[in-house]
Amino acid sequence: MVESYDESQQDNDARFAARIAAPLRAAEHVHPSFERRLMEKVRAEGPSLYPAIASDGASWWKRKRVLRVSPIAGLALAAGIGAIVVVSSIAIGSRISSRPAVASATPVAAHQDTVQLVRFVFVDRSAASVELVGDFNEWARGTTALQRSGAPGVWAVSVPLSPGRHEYAFIINGSRWVADPLAVKSTDDFGTESSVIRVASTGNSTT
Amino acid sequence: MKAGSDSELIDAVLAGDVDAFSGLVLRYQDTCVRFAVRMLGSRVDADDVLQSAFMRAFRNLRSCREPERFGGWLYQIVINECKTYATRQRRRDLRFTPATTAIERAVAPGTEPEKASDVGDQIESALAMLPAEQREAFLLKHVEELTYDEMSAMTGVSVPALKMRVKRACDGLRDMLEGVYHG
Repeated sequence: MVESYDESQQDNDARFAARIAAPLRAAEHVHPSFERRLMEKVRAEGPSLYPAIASDGASWWKRKRVLRVSPIAGLALAAGIGAIVVVSSIAIGSRISSRPAVASATPVAAHQDTVQLVRFVFVDRSAASVELVGDFNEWARGTTALQRSGAPGVWAVSVPLSPGRHEYAFIINGSRWVADPLAVKSTDDFGTESSVIRVASTGNSTT
Repeated sequence: MKAGSDSELIDAVLAGDVDAFSGLVLRYQDTCVRFAVRMLGSRVDADDVLQSAFMRAFRNLRSCREPERFGGWLYQIVINECKTYATRQRRRDLRFTPATTAIERAVAPGTEPEKASDVGDQIESALAMLPAEQREAFLLKHVEELTYDEMSAMTGVSVPALKMRVKRACDGLRDMLEGVYHG
């Protein structure tokens, strides 16, 4: 049986509720020690959660890891990037007319030390800036910016990733969080959607 | 207190200045506490839940999608924490005043009205007797004065379902408080 709740009932309840709610609207205040107790916990956990970013703004993988590339591998890397840029541009370009924003993540080169270079491409003609955040840069904004790349509205960046599962998202114009519309989604406790890429050690990655 | 917009304070925390979080705490602690106290019926429990909610927000600050709307995001966490706590609390203890007692304490029609504080206590006792989801809906609608659309965005519950919860909450409160308020 479906209950109905017509407007007259709603008005009646609203009048009743207004009287009931009046004393409940009285202001409440936290205990004076609330902020001090909370900040003690914040300071205990904070440094491991949010380590201070180096003043040059470099993300952790730039500061802590060195991507060693042999001369031959370097040539292959350069050739791979060029090829992928072209392929990505063609593939993405065909979607521009039908979708306002599309994205992709493509492995472009592998290194024998298992770090792989993955190219992230995002297409949005209206974007003024596009950033990449993910577990690989500790979700730090302002560290991994995509650059305009060829066709209008095409933004791209290549990031070295270790093999395994990574979550990421794009931030448009410094504030709008966008999951990769072409990738598998992951949703956290608060309903925030991110995207998932699995980087294989062989160079084949899936989103 | 750290000055700056919510977005600037969040940026500072994410960059390693965790003390900047105190600016957000001081800005929003009193905004959240009324709902928590009314929802849980206890200032001690509300304090525990708010500590937990703020820490949850701190730990998940990177997933705050729209930093300029931190307040709404935090409020959503507070609502969820209160609901979880209230549901658990309901199962495990009987600290709330039983419904029959709330009714007995209510003022019978035609008698002297009680002091405002006593009436407030009766209302809080009756409120505490409602199922957590009805209490939450009633508080968000009539005490926090959110619109149904705002409530839906905060709770993830559909507008029709929220309206029905508010209706049932009003029915329940009316039954328990008929001696205090007629209508």
